[in-house]
Amino acid sequence: MAAIVRISSVCHRGVKPLFYRSSLLSRTLVAQQKDQDCPYPLTARIHGSSSLYAGSVSKAASLHWTGERVVSVLLLAMGPAAYYFPGPAVDYSLAAALTLHGHWGIGQVLTDYVHGEPKIKMVNAGLFLLSTVTFAGLCYFNYNDVGICKAVALLWSK
Amino acid sequence: CFISLRTFTRQGTCLFRPQFGILCRHAVPMGTTANEEMNTFWAKNNKLNRPMSPHLTIYKWSMPMMMSITHRGTGVGLSGGISAFALLALVLPGNYPYYLDLIHSLSVGPALLSLAKFGIAFPVSYHTLNGIRHLFWDSGKGFKIPEVYRSGYVVIVLSILTSIAAIAYM
Repeated sequence: MAAIVRISSVCHRGVKPLFYRSSLLSRTLVAQQKDQDCPYPLTARIHGSSSLYAGSVSKAASLHWTGERVVSVLLLAMGPAAYYFPGPAVDYSLAAALTLHGHWGIGQVLTDYVHGEPKIKMVNAGLFLLSTVTFAGLCYFNYNDVGICKAVALLWSK
Repeated sequence: CFISLRTFTRQGTCLFRPQFGILCRHAVPMGTTANEEMNTFWAKNNKLNRPMSPHLTIYKWSMPMMMSITHRGTGVGLSGGISAFALLALVLPGNYPYYLDLIHSLSVGPALLSLAKFGIAFPVSYHTLNGIRHLFWDSGKGFKIPEVYRSGYVVIVLSILTSIAAIAYM
C-alpha cells in the first residue's frame, strides 16, 4: 500500500493536519501512528511498496540477513541437543551449522575491513576454500573418528 | 544499521519526527547502490593517497564498544579454532583419543588445565550469550542506552559464571 503523504502536511505541523485530510490512506497512517511502541511495522509497510522504484531491487541482501539469524538460532538450539542427545545426527548438524555460521560471520568481518573489488574477490575466494575444508574436515572427523559431541565430552572429562 | 539509514536517504525517503514513525518518499530514486558508493569512496580516497583520520585511537572507549569488538574477536577466534581442528583432523595420521592421551601425558597440572578449559569455555559462553543479546536487538528490543548497558553487564557476569560452572561441574 503506497502511503504517499504530502511533505508539507507532515513537517512541523504535527499530527493534526492529517486528521483533516479526506484521503483514507492518511487515516490508516494516523491510526497506526498512535501505536508509538512499534513504529517498525508501519515503516516496514510503507517501505514494502515499490511503486516509486525505477527498477526492482534484489532481495538477496535481506534474505542473507534473515538466513544468518535463522542459522544462529538453530546453532543455539544445538547446544542443549548436543548435551542431551549426542550422536551422529547432532554431529553432522553441528558440523553444518558451525561451518555456515562461521563462514557468514567471517564474511561480514571481511566486508567491513577489506576494500577494493579485486581484494574483496580474493579474500572471499580464500574464505570459501577455508569453509569448504572446514566442513570436509568436520564431516571426516564425524565419520572416521569419535564425532564432535564425543570429542567435547572426552576433552572435558579430564 | 548505518548502511540501512544511508539506503533510506539515498532512495529519497525522509524521516520526520521519529516519534510518529512516518516515512515519506520523494519521487526521485537514486541510481547507485550502497555497495557501489562505498567502492567509489574507497577507490577515490586510496587513489589520492589520503591518510585516514584517527578514530579508534582518539575516541573514548565505552563498554558497548568493547563488548562489540570482543564479540567479533571471540567469533573469529572460535571460527579459526574450529577450522584448525578440522584441518588437523584431515592431515594428522592418528585418531582423536590418541592425541588427547598425548596431551594428557604431558601432565600439565590442574591449574593450567583449568586455565585452558576457561580459555575455551569463556569465548564460547561470551559469544553465545552476547549472540542472544544481538538477536534481541534484531527483534527491535533493548536499544535504549540504559538497556544496552544493563544487558551488557548481564552478559559479562553470566559468561564468567557459566564458564566457571563448566569447569567446576563438568
